[in-house]
Amino acid sequence: MEHDDCKNNIVHRLSGLRIDMDEEELTAQETALYDRQIRVWGVDAQKRLSRAHVLISGLSGATAELCKNIVLAGVGSLTLVDPRPVTEDACNANFLILPENINGGRSLADVCCESLKDFNPMVRVSAEKGDLMQSDGEFFNKFDVVVISCCSSKAKKLINEKCRKRSRRMAFYTVECRDSCGEIFVDLQNYTYMQKSSDDTAECQLDFPSLEEAISIPWMDLPRKVSKLFFAMRVLDMFESSKERNPGETSISDLPEILKLREEMCNAQSVKDYDSLVPQSLLERLLAAGTKEHPPVCAILGGILGQEVIKAISGKGGPLKNFFYFDAADGKGVIEDISKPHAG
Amino acid sequence: MYIDSRCLYFQKPLLESGTLGAKCNTQMVIPHLTENYGASRDPPEKQAPMCTVHSFPHNIDHCLTWARSEFEGLLEKTPTEVNTFLSNPSAYAAAMRNAGDAQARDQLERVLECLDKDRCETFQDCITWARLKFEDYFSNRVKQLTFTFPEDSITSSGAPFWSAPKRFPRPLQFASSDPSHLNFILAGSILRADVFGIPIPDWAKNPKKFAAAVDKVLVPEFQPKQGVKIVTDEKATSLSTASIDDTAMIENLIARLEDCAKKLPPGFRMKPIQFEKDDDTNYHMDFIAGLANMRARNYSIPEVDKLKAKFIAGRIIPAIATSTAMATGLVCLELYKILAGGHKLEDYRNTFANLALPLFSMAEPVPPKTIKHRDMSWTVWDRWTIHGNITLRELLEWLKQKGLHAYSISCGTSLLYNSMFPRHKDRLDKYSVDVAKEVAKVTCPRTVAPGRRGGAEDDEDNDIDIPLVSIYFR
Repeated sequence: MEHDDCKNNIVHRLSGLRIDMDEEELTAQETALYDRQIRVWGVDAQKRLSRAHVLISGLSGATAELCKNIVLAGVGSLTLVDPRPVTEDACNANFLILPENINGGRSLADVCCESLKDFNPMVRVSAEKGDLMQSDGEFFNKFDVVVISCCSSKAKKLINEKCRKRSRRMAFYTVECRDSCGEIFVDLQNYTYMQKSSDDTAECQLDFPSLEEAISIPWMDLPRKVSKLFFAMRVLDMFESSKERNPGETSISDLPEILKLREEMCNAQSVKDYDSLVPQSLLERLLAAGTKEHPPVCAILGGILGQEVIKAISGKGGPLKNFFYFDAADGKGVIEDISKPHAG
Repeated sequence: MYIDSRCLYFQKPLLESGTLGAKCNTQMVIPHLTENYGASRDPPEKQAPMCTVHSFPHNIDHCLTWARSEFEGLLEKTPTEVNTFLSNPSAYAAAMRNAGDAQARDQLERVLECLDKDRCETFQDCITWARLKFEDYFSNRVKQLTFTFPEDSITSSGAPFWSAPKRFPRPLQFASSDPSHLNFILAGSILRADVFGIPIPDWAKNPKKFAAAVDKVLVPEFQPKQGVKIVTDEKATSLSTASIDDTAMIENLIARLEDCAKKLPPGFRMKPIQFEKDDDTNYHMDFIAGLANMRARNYSIPEVDKLKAKFIAGRIIPAIATSTAMATGLVCLELYKILAGGHKLEDYRNTFANLALPLFSMAEPVPPKTIKHRDMSWTVWDRWTIHGNITLRELLEWLKQKGLHAYSISCGTSLLYNSMFPRHKDRLDKYSVDVAKEVAKVTCPRTVAPGRRGGAEDDEDNDIDIPLVSIYFR
């Protein structure tokens, strides 16, 4: 009995994000507060959560849901970055901000920070000023998990690379919600975790591509039935970046240009039937929505991503590899593995 | 299921969802479009058969289930029964005579035990009770079980009786020097004292003094008996074994109970205990963990600490914010579809997800079962309406016109008419609404009589489910 415990412990220390585990027990207060969730993931996972540091940049409806979930779960600290002012649009799907905060002078990060503290006083929630794109490696070293939203594809790739360069293993995620569609991207680099089966627990290993690597894979190399949202989002990303627009700064009047871009991108990827791969109807929906998010979809994305973050911190449970798409129009949620197949 | 029946009756959509840890599910029930909630049942939760819990445990869950059940029986149910008896002895006796079965007999025996043989007046009495319970549970019963079914027993089919998953138990030898034994007695004595309203003396918390008091208890020798019935049938739902003279025994027990009651101080009542798992000072979890672990020891099952025991015995549903948020979002999406109106079956979604794996599974809801008869077809959502204050006979005639031979008519859970019962012939010419008022005791709203469900047969004498019939009698 004891020997097995020892072995499991060692394996466990090696898996996940190798969070600093001193032998401190949870306080009585923590055990009482987190009782119901400890029954799901165990005391050890709860301890790891309480020592984890999470960075979330870009406060939208989806990331607001995510913040709520991980603050309730009891992470050690949550750092928010979003210097944008509170606008009326932002209030539509972000329940952490109120109409009275509109044009109140404080940033989105500041206002959300305050609301989140109420959810769980045991979590250190703070707002960080400054531009993440300019931040150096040292800054990122402080975190175990980084989640990026509401910024350009270029910025996401850049920050992803910064995270991958750290010697400390970090979990990187992006999330976007447009109209009633959502996309989650997961990068855990090379990741070991514990997988429970009916009888025992085994150690598993996965290799995640970077964001750049994943979206560089030629479209013809991807499985036939990959979610159309993947391609639609790539076209949108390309459009916004070429026009130097902020993410979601689109409208239906952009449709003719986007359709042209779609044709160009498909040709470059040797895809003949471009409306089948990237339906016009889908592009129309996404364009028209701009930055508008459908709140129920935010809840769905925030729930799924929240659990992914918790799994990565605890090292327990199979991670989502590596894209997730949801579209309320067909009510489907799918996991897409968009990575180069292993050589050999 | 009740909600499902109300939604069926009032034709309301039901958006069902639930979570269990990282798992969540949503199910849409839309009138006339989907099957109702009750149409498909989840596979029943695997509950250990009663005989496993009571005589043949093979894991700690069985032991904890048994422990929880004993705790509730000894400290809550029986004291409550005692109080019911003492509050109105003649009513209680009448109820027991009326029931007249093995369960009533067992119940009376337990109440009598509490007030007579095992009644406690001092703390030492409580210690005695707890010590004898230890002997009974963890020594005598095991000796009796292994006497009735020795280690080399064979079943009727020739296989060894004690083959896996059954584990062969061994009796425990009580020793006040064993802290786990002593803690069991301590917790038991204290709770027994609480139930009898006896104050706990300070010396009880002193292990040496307490051990000395326990050793003073005279424990009678035990001899296993021949011909003792032990339930081995996995499908048995009751442990009470009926005997031919239950009625006579019940009479006898009642008489002895009434005698006992006379000897009690006036206004005597017991104090039933309700299991409270979160108070670490109340000895509840100590007793349950003690019961479970000693039993586990009998059966060579690994024991658990108090915290783990609390988790399992507490039957608490594990819950996290993430799956809850996801389920809520999914249900909201479906709600918008209902409010928008005009959506087809194929537009709705039922979801099952397990965020731990991760796994996401979405599907269209299933349409309701259609029943066909002659040129008609209907589903569980349909209603037949009749206008007019008709009699039961007229109702049967109306159904006959449709080629349906109705043999029973009920209203809610009450039976209004059944062709099997001769007495019911008198009801045939009464107004349906009057029979409903008399038998089902319903107060009918102004115009609609509560739906009748008919049991009917079609032209070929096959049983057929017919829609609810609503009678507008005014």
